[in-house]
Amino acid sequence: MTTYLLRRLLLMIPTLIGITFLVFMIVASAPGGIGAAVLAQAGGAMTANSGVAQQRAYLEDRYGLSDPVIFQYFRWLGRISPVKLGSQAQQLPSGEVIRTPRPIPQPPLATWYSQGLPTLPKVEAAAIKDLSEEDRVRMYRRLERQYIEGRFNTVARITEFRSQLTVYARERGLEAGVNPDGTPIVEFFQNLQPDRSSTEWVVLEAKGKAVLEAYTAGLAAQAELAGFFDQRPFEGYGVALLPGVLSIAWPDFGTAFSSGRPVMDLIPPAMATTLTLNLVAIPIIYMVAIPSGILAAVRRGSLFDVGIGSVYIALYSFPVVLAGVLAIGFLANQQYLGWFPVAGLHANEASQMRFLPAYGEGGQWERGWLVDMLWHMGLPVMCLVYTGFAVLSKQTRAAMLENFNADYVRTAKAKGVSNKDVIFKHVFRNSLIPLITIFVTVFPGMLAGSVVVERIFTIPGMGSLMIEAINNRDFEVILANTVMIAVVNLVALLVADILYALADPRVAYS
Amino acid sequence: MPPSSTNQPVPAVVTGVQLMQGIGHAPAKGFWADAWSSVLKRPGAVAGLCWITVVAFFAIFSPVLASGHPIMLTTPEGRTTWPMLAALTAVDWYLLAVGLSVPAAYFAGPAAGRAARIRWLLGGLVVAGISVVIASLLRGSLDSRTPPAWLLPTRNSEVGGLMVGGAVAVLVGGVFAALPFASKLVRRLTAVVFAVVVAAGAVHLGWDRPSIERFDYVRQEAAGAKASYSVVPFSPSQRFSELSRVAPGTQLGPSQNLPAEHPAHDRSFVLGTDAFGADVLSQMLHACRLSISIGLVSTGIALLIGVTLGAIMGYFGGWVDLLLYRVVEIFMAVPVLFLLIVAAAVLPPELRTTYTMMAIIGCFTWTGMARFTRAEFLKLRNQDFVQSARSVGLPLRSVLFKHMLPNGVAPVLVDTSFAIASAITVEAVLSYLNLGPIDQASWGKLLASAVSSEGEFKWWLAVFPGIAIFLTVLSYNLVGEALRDAIDPKLKKARV
Repeated sequence: MTTYLLRRLLLMIPTLIGITFLVFMIVASAPGGIGAAVLAQAGGAMTANSGVAQQRAYLEDRYGLSDPVIFQYFRWLGRISPVKLGSQAQQLPSGEVIRTPRPIPQPPLATWYSQGLPTLPKVEAAAIKDLSEEDRVRMYRRLERQYIEGRFNTVARITEFRSQLTVYARERGLEAGVNPDGTPIVEFFQNLQPDRSSTEWVVLEAKGKAVLEAYTAGLAAQAELAGFFDQRPFEGYGVALLPGVLSIAWPDFGTAFSSGRPVMDLIPPAMATTLTLNLVAIPIIYMVAIPSGILAAVRRGSLFDVGIGSVYIALYSFPVVLAGVLAIGFLANQQYLGWFPVAGLHANEASQMRFLPAYGEGGQWERGWLVDMLWHMGLPVMCLVYTGFAVLSKQTRAAMLENFNADYVRTAKAKGVSNKDVIFKHVFRNSLIPLITIFVTVFPGMLAGSVVVERIFTIPGMGSLMIEAINNRDFEVILANTVMIAVVNLVALLVADILYALADPRVAYS
Repeated sequence: MPPSSTNQPVPAVVTGVQLMQGIGHAPAKGFWADAWSSVLKRPGAVAGLCWITVVAFFAIFSPVLASGHPIMLTTPEGRTTWPMLAALTAVDWYLLAVGLSVPAAYFAGPAAGRAARIRWLLGGLVVAGISVVIASLLRGSLDSRTPPAWLLPTRNSEVGGLMVGGAVAVLVGGVFAALPFASKLVRRLTAVVFAVVVAAGAVHLGWDRPSIERFDYVRQEAAGAKASYSVVPFSPSQRFSELSRVAPGTQLGPSQNLPAEHPAHDRSFVLGTDAFGADVLSQMLHACRLSISIGLVSTGIALLIGVTLGAIMGYFGGWVDLLLYRVVEIFMAVPVLFLLIVAAAVLPPELRTTYTMMAIIGCFTWTGMARFTRAEFLKLRNQDFVQSARSVGLPLRSVLFKHMLPNGVAPVLVDTSFAIASAITVEAVLSYLNLGPIDQASWGKLLASAVSSEGEFKWWLAVFPGIAIFLTVLSYNLVGEALRDAIDPKLKKARV
């Protein structure tokens, strides 16, 4: 049994890695990749201090936008994996995770305008032992801003140099060194010597010198920040297993663009809400579908059986979207019946309510917090459960009918066991096994239905988070959300597998 | 069993001896014909097929039935133009050709050769359809900001459409004729010629359509022209911002402060309008096309991917099976809707066409079919006929597709009907979340207008599109159930 469990758990890991790969490739294959939306919002010029530049630098740092997509994927995977290689990251008091700064991009064609590229300067280690935490944070922010500016300036100067290089190439007639879209192919010029007598060269050299200046400043900023970081001014993030090589920590899902909060703050409350809805729905589905399936199997061919079969096909074909819209329109709206509340999971004054219903002052019956939440959950849960009825009831009926023809049932009847005992003591217990496996198909369907239901009823769950993130083009949240949903799904499938192995011992030993 | 040699009428009660002599023995039908007649015996499936036919009818004829362009416009000077026909796209013309030729081929001619005729016609129509789609995409690229230089001469030429349509059809048809289908080469070539004619004609007729539709007929009518409109005189793209969310059947006129020159003056919206002021009935009719095409094409793509991967997994087993099944598990681990939402959201707006949505939905929903095919092929691998085919030395593609596939495809085809139903549901959800194809009427998009941002609920925007979605999905599910009961009698599920 334990080996079976271990095997299933180990098989989850490559599946999880595969899921992250699939999700990342879908998002990164958007035209422009991960950074496209930020740049699309930029519109006009980006200055070093604008929020867009900060976002671009953040994305560059986190994903390395100029690298091939596969490198971006591995960098992201390294961030979100609990097992981290390399030197340990540190955590600011505010919760943000910081890492040693990435190298400034190297200037292209350095041989044309300089004797040699400067190297990372050695900086004196600033004394941080006596600084308070606030001062350290302030120092970090200052150095970080310097680094971002230095990096931004270098990238901007390099871009100017490259466009000037295109002009130079076109004047010289070196069309082979220019891409069709106007960017120069730097490797083409690597082995050529510049024509120092031409007028374009003067401009080019000036731009090259500007690049060098920015690069030197950027290197200095990088060295200072790296030096500060290496002194470990803040707490390490996670637990270091082998210092400098291996550590484990919470996955770092990054910061959401729209709200500026870490994604790990947004996901747990949303997850709790979605799981509450789904976990309330599951027992309801089983409690309704199993008795109706048993009854339909026992009274096969009767009016009840045929009737309930038709009702279930109709329910199965009813899309959740439509059910939600009709429910909120007719049952929740004041225009029509208005029996249920329209939005959210709690009333506005929910935080002041008592937990259980009681009679308040003046003899008024007060809905408690619990009843209030159940009342708000009524319609959403109703929309989530009805599809499951059809699937589960049909499966129960089919499994029981199959078992009715088995030998042991005939023997039991021949022995004189009462009909009720035959059904509940023998047939039903053997029919339970397919019900567990059917959970594997019901649960992802419910999670998917949650997206629509949460959107219609304005419930702040994972589905709502996803839709908002999509509307805000918040890729961090999209990626993190999808991965977490997949993890929830995998855990549910694992639980189903364990229950199946408990119910049917043959499975564990196969 | 030898057929009845005597021409005596079949007696009411047939004895065993008579059966052995061949009297009273109905001729055996093929497997699929038998399954189909079982399906037709069930009232639910027949009702479902009727509804699907209705939806298909509207899918084909909706641009003719519901159009804001008048059928015929006569200027005061006596010149007659046909604005509605001029506004039809190449795909509209192609579908009209399909809608007219398939019933014609079915009913004209003897019943005996009917199946062969329909197969021939469908082959030609599929080739023509693919060519028309490709030609439409080429035409669309001409309207974009950077038209390809090699296509520019066709934009203004008289026979531009004919040339493009014909050339594409010849290319696609050439590929099709080279594939070794069961029929003879001559027959395939005549189907290709037919396809070239249809495709060239459709593309030519739809070539000069302006990319932005204008509905300024009221001005011309006020100047004295006479216009006669179609049954539903509104197009789905006609939006009247001052008539947002109007209830069905309200007679428009002075109460809405509409000037007399307003196109909607004196008319009523039979099913009301949506949040943008576009007529609901015409949107619903045009949305039939989206639902049929998404259902068929997405499921076709999913079938292609799923069956191929499942065949490879099932036939080879071992390492190949282990690796590829992990891929299947990965797709099963994430709820498909989440992947689809993410994929639809990262597409830029100019790429969110019907065709891309079909491709995306098809590319994410193939896992069920792959698993079925894999299970079947794992069973078939050890059968005698497969072993003998391999030992004789037949090439792999022959063993897989000519010998094993026809025997293993039954459960997958049963699943196809359910897959179409779920593709339609998924498309409705995506359109509801505003992630569906842009510029295309959809039932899900109408549902999104039902609850306004202030919380007002307009029932006609939820009930009518909702009934349409529900009945369509129900029809496909009923047909699927009937097909499953007919094909897999020994399946573990017990029948009614």
